[in-house]
Amino acid sequence: MTMIGAIALLFTCQLLGEIIHRLAGLPLPGSVIGMVLLICWLGLVRKERPTLEAVTGWLTAHLSIMFVPSAVGLIEEGPVLSQYGIGLAVATIISTLLTMVVGALVFRWALRWVKQDDDAGNEETEREGMGA
Amino acid sequence: MNDLLSTQIFWLAITFVVFEGADRLSVRSGRHPLCHPVLLAAPVLIAALLLTGTSYKTYTDATQVLGFLLGPAVVGLAVPIWRQRALICRLAVPIALALGAGALTAIISAVGIMALFGAPSEVLASIAPRATTTPVAMEVASQLGGVPALAAVIVLLAGVVGAMTATPLFNAMKISDYRARGFALGVSAHGFGAARAFQVDATAGAFASLGMALNAVVTAALLSVMAVLL
Repeated sequence: MTMIGAIALLFTCQLLGEIIHRLAGLPLPGSVIGMVLLICWLGLVRKERPTLEAVTGWLTAHLSIMFVPSAVGLIEEGPVLSQYGIGLAVATIISTLLTMVVGALVFRWALRWVKQDDDAGNEETEREGMGA
Repeated sequence: MNDLLSTQIFWLAITFVVFEGADRLSVRSGRHPLCHPVLLAAPVLIAALLLTGTSYKTYTDATQVLGFLLGPAVVGLAVPIWRQRALICRLAVPIALALGAGALTAIISAVGIMALFGAPSEVLASIAPRATTTPVAMEVASQLGGVPALAAVIVLLAGVVGAMTATPLFNAMKISDYRARGFALGVSAHGFGAARAFQVDATAGAFASLGMALNAVVTAALLSVMAVLL
């Protein structure tokens, strides 16, 4: 697969996702539907794709600068921030901590439940870098 | 000369230079969560817009090529999920249960607390996808009638909180399994969580990346079902 081929695959998945999004009238974003479609495609057509991995790896490694323009949009949210800023901070902090607690407890409980606790934490895993 | 301030190249050049400077500071801080390049760059750019009297509309028009790349980047999250398929199959039950419980906890607690503060629906829609990775959160928020900028900043804050508290929190809870620790951190604090998890342990990092990628799909799907039903 060439670089252009990899980009064409990503764009096509997003386009099909966008079409499904419009036809189904779901609030699920086209890009997320496109992600599911790409997983299906990778499962259907099995082969090594170093170029696709290079392109997606490059994109995820540079996610941060892509949402800078959106973060600058806060310039227009002064009224909302002055009214709900503290609430948003409190809600975000509590929700983040609570989600970590629930997620970790459920994961550990389910591991014991399916009796896979014997090799705790020693899984063979692949390294995977991620943007924000 | 004044029309230079409304050209694409002016604001793209400024954005890249400011971001590069912010990124170097972030590297110098050892990638401390509070020194995330977006958190450092956004205030500088906001100040630049205010000083030059440039409207936000002019700025987003000039820099929209950056935002466009977010779509293909989200599609590309399919690759790490696919690569970890053996892991997903082997630990299907813990992964599915922790993912479902974590995604629901994140949505209900965040929206519930904001409802107690009496926030209007556009604010609730902005915080609802707070556990997903930033581009998905912005997309989902705008689909639900929220504000993408607000969603982006909420998600950044969630990432900072998760990355800074995970180790003491899990130690206090006496959870030593790096699969459980990593996965929960990725589900709750997306890419920041994954980056932090990789600093601690490779297994935790892999599970955090997986938690982040899977939760992007699950939270987006849950919220669209809720939006259709409610």
